[in-house]
Amino acid sequence: MRLNMVIELLDVPGQLLAALEPIGTLGANLVTVIHQREIKTERGLIPVQITIEGDTETLDLVMNKLNELGFRVIEVDGNILKETINTILIGNIVDRDVKDTMDQINQLKGVRVADLSLKMSEEPLHSSARITVEADFGKKKDVLEKIQNIGKSKDFLVISEV
Amino acid sequence: MRICLMGFGAVGQGVAKVISLKNDYLKEHYGLELKLVAVTDSSGAAISQDGLDPDLLLKIKSETGKVSNYPEAGIENIDGINVLDKVEYDTMVEVTPTNIQNGEPAKSLTIKAIKDKKDVVTSNKGHLALFFRELIELSHQNGVEFKYEASVGGAMPILNFAQETLPGNEIKSILGILNGTTNFILSRMTIEGSSYEQTLQEAQQLGIAETDPTQDVEGIDAACKTVILANSILGIDCTLKDVQVTGISRITSEAIDLAKKEGYLIKLMAEVSPDSLDVSPRLVKQDSPYAVDGTLNMATLKTDLADEVTVVGLGAGSVETASAILSDLLNIWKSQK
Repeated sequence: MRLNMVIELLDVPGQLLAALEPIGTLGANLVTVIHQREIKTERGLIPVQITIEGDTETLDLVMNKLNELGFRVIEVDGNILKETINTILIGNIVDRDVKDTMDQINQLKGVRVADLSLKMSEEPLHSSARITVEADFGKKKDVLEKIQNIGKSKDFLVISEV
Repeated sequence: MRICLMGFGAVGQGVAKVISLKNDYLKEHYGLELKLVAVTDSSGAAISQDGLDPDLLLKIKSETGKVSNYPEAGIENIDGINVLDKVEYDTMVEVTPTNIQNGEPAKSLTIKAIKDKKDVVTSNKGHLALFFRELIELSHQNGVEFKYEASVGGAMPILNFAQETLPGNEIKSILGILNGTTNFILSRMTIEGSSYEQTLQEAQQLGIAETDPTQDVEGIDAACKTVILANSILGIDCTLKDVQVTGISRITSEAIDLAKKEGYLIKLMAEVSPDSLDVSPRLVKQDSPYAVDGTLNMATLKTDLADEVTVVGLGAGSVETASAILSDLLNIWKSQK
C-alpha cells in the first residue's frame, strides 16, 4: 500500500537525509519526495511531501521511527493531524457568555472546542472551566493567543500549558 | 577573609551559623578563615576588627533582639553606610530585606562597597531587579566581585551552575518554579482540596507565608528572580517592569480539580526567554520535571549542547540560603588565590 505524508523539517543541511534514512532501512519504498524550500509552515519549518510504499506493518514502523527521531508528521493521506490543547479559565464564565467564548475559539480555521468542563464555585465570579481544543498542527500559538484575548476582555484568569 | 554582614534576619543569622559550623572545615580544605568584623541590624551594629564570635552574636540576637547589645563591640543606632567606614574588611555580605520600591538600603550599601573596591555577596533581589545593569557595570569598572547566587532559588544551584558547570552551552530559555511559598500553597490545595484563603492561612501559621504575603502570592518575588536570571544567564537587559506578572490569588480548588482530572497540576511558573519574560499560573503534566511539591524550587534550562538540564532545591530557609552565600564566598576566595 501507498502512503502520502507531509513532514516538517528545519531548514538546515542534513535534515532531509536524516528523515529519509529510516524509510529505506526499515524496508519501505520511497516513491516521491517534494521538497520546496521557499514554502514555510506556520511554525516556520519546511513542509516536505513524501510518498512511500510498503506493507501496513512496515509503514507503521516508519511512522513510529520518524516520531521517535523528533520529525513531526503534520499530514497523512490528506488529513491534517491534530494536537490537543488544554486551558483552564477562572472567572465569571457563565455570565460572560460561555457560548460566545466557544464560538470565538471555533471561528479559528482548523480549530475546534472538543470538550468543556465547568465547575461552579460558591462564588459565581470564581467559576472554573477546562477547555480542550483540537487544532491542526501549527495552530497552537493562534489558539493560545485567542484564549488570552478572550480572558482579557472578559476578565478571566487564563491558565495554559507550559 | 574579613566580612561585614549587613542585615541579621533569618538569612544573616544563617550566615553566622554556617561560619560557626564550617570555619574549621574551610580552614583545613581551602585555607579560608571567615572573620566577621561587623554585623548590622535595625538596632545598630556590632563592630570588632579582631572578629566577632558568631555563636555569641546568635545568642544575643535571640535573647535581646539587637546585635547592638554585643558586649563592648555593640553600637546603637549606627547607619549601615557608616559601619562600612568604621572597619577594615574584604567582602560585604548584604542580606537586608528586599525592597522592590527603590532597592534600598541594599543599593546604597552595594554602591559604596564596590566604590571602596570591596567584593560583594548578596541574597537580596530588590536592587538587582531594579538596577541590575548599573550595579554589574559598576563592579566591572571597579574590578571587584559581585555575586548573588542566593538571590535566586535559595539553596538551589542555578547561577553558578549555569556559568561554571555548563560553560560553552548557550542557554536558550529557563522555565521554573522560583517561589517556595506559592508552590507550597498550590501543592497543599492540590492534596487537600482546600480553598486558597484557607491554605494561605495555614502557610502563614507555619511561617512559610509572611503576614503580608503580597510579594509571594502576586508573583512579584518570582518576577524579581526572573529579571536576575534573564540578565545574568541569558544576557537580556531588563528590569522588573518588563516582566508580565500574574499571581495565584485567583486560583480556586475547583480549577485545580479540573486540571487534576486531565493529569495536570497548576504551578506558578516563571518563563525566561528572549521572547517572553512571564510569571503566571500554568498547567504542567503530573509526571513532568515541573511537578515538584512543597516549598521546593526547580528550574529547567534549555541549552544548545546539553539539551534540557533540571535543578531542584529548597528555595528558602536560613541555613539553606546561607549555603548559597558560602558558595559565592568560596568562589571569590578561590579566584583570588
